[in-house]
Amino acid sequence: MTTPVLRIENLSKRYGSRAVLTGASFSVNKGDLKILIGPSGAGKSTLLQCINFLVQPDEGRIWLDGEEVRPGHRRALCTYRQKVGMIFQDFNLFDHLNALENVRIGLVRVKGIARDEAGERAVRELTRVGLRDHLQKYPAQLSGGQKQRVSIARALAMDPKVMLLDEPTSALDPELIGEVHSVIREMGQGGMTMIMATHQIGFARSLASEIIFMEDGRIVEQGAPDRIFCHAENARTREFCSKITELYGETR
Amino acid sequence: MPESLNAVIDALPYLLAGSAVTLIVVVGAMCLGLCLGVPLAVGQLYGQPAIRRAIGVYVWFFRGIPLLVLLFLFYFGLCTALDINLSAFTVAIIVLGLISSAYQSQIFRGAILSLPEGQLKAARALGMSDRRAIASIILPQALRLSVPGWSNEYSIILKDSAVAYALGVPEIMARAHFVATRTYQQLPLYLAAGVIFLVLTYLGTKGLRVLEEKVRIPGYSPQGG
Repeated sequence: MTTPVLRIENLSKRYGSRAVLTGASFSVNKGDLKILIGPSGAGKSTLLQCINFLVQPDEGRIWLDGEEVRPGHRRALCTYRQKVGMIFQDFNLFDHLNALENVRIGLVRVKGIARDEAGERAVRELTRVGLRDHLQKYPAQLSGGQKQRVSIARALAMDPKVMLLDEPTSALDPELIGEVHSVIREMGQGGMTMIMATHQIGFARSLASEIIFMEDGRIVEQGAPDRIFCHAENARTREFCSKITELYGETR
Repeated sequence: MPESLNAVIDALPYLLAGSAVTLIVVVGAMCLGLCLGVPLAVGQLYGQPAIRRAIGVYVWFFRGIPLLVLLFLFYFGLCTALDINLSAFTVAIIVLGLISSAYQSQIFRGAILSLPEGQLKAARALGMSDRRAIASIILPQALRLSVPGWSNEYSIILKDSAVAYALGVPEIMARAHFVATRTYQQLPLYLAAGVIFLVLTYLGTKGLRVLEEKVRIPGYSPQGG
């Protein structure tokens, strides 16, 4: 048996008396694309943010490549976060930096790579996401889809072992979703390990290696896409899947 | 009237030399305020509770005591008590700088708070330490947003600097007063002093406008466009 790239065990988070995440456990193998689905407020975003400790979980353990993460140790945490790419719903590009600088800054300031070399790498990553002609543009001069692709390039430049994508297309105009999806699809084909929260059910179904259905901070059911969408064991999973399929259309 | 005009013309080089003193005091105080204000703002937002409380007291102290009281307290009080030999000029820069640091820290604090939370999150997600994220991501944006606030701060310090007259700093007001009492041409000389202050205010705010435009992020408007 190979070691999973990422394993989480019993991840939990409460805000006061409200449990937003309860006992989430799963493991992700190399090249997997796990897709988190579930209603808003189900804890998908909290789960993703707990995985790289942007939200501090109250309980739970995480292993990356078989090595347990020590979030209390500042340096270890920074090193771990370098290996876990994060894509946000609202992009969170650094507003004062142009596309090239957005991708380069992590390489220079975190990895300590020389500026020129980092710049070349940044150009390569931006070319890969189809933004070769927009290197000098600032976030405010880019469309939503372009911004999200810059943020993907920014994460990829760090050579992450796993990528977390928190509803990467939710803030986009429908016609811009495709360009981001195709970049994500290419990442998957390149063997990137990913965990992604999304409402784009067609996309999820065609690409996911596994679907995780969450509700009220709990993982209700996980399994292969066809099983979750067609033969879910849990009644609530079935109900959600049929509703969302109706809303967001066909299987792809 | 020609006599009063002559008095002003005669005194003009002397007054302009005073405006150089005023400008050095103001620029010095603003720089000191900037150097202290940034760490104060960062400490107040991200520091340990004890640090935040200490900064809160500092800000309260320097915003709460009148300038004239602080000048006397430092120049006649502290310098004498501690047997430190500082010129009135230096004390004026230090006191105005300390007061300005309290006000500037609040300008920066507001600017930092106005940044989207996602900026810090994204920096952390890349593996930046908080210190690095504040230096590379938060401050470069917050300082840009602070320029309009500085414009306000500049005109306040400029006017406040006239109080340094009370310590005998040879700035615009001290010189105007000196000439006015010698020549009995109070009205034209104080008018001249006022006009010089107006011109300095205009030039300074104009200069900061240019700076604001210069550091503006392309495509970005404060309204979030």
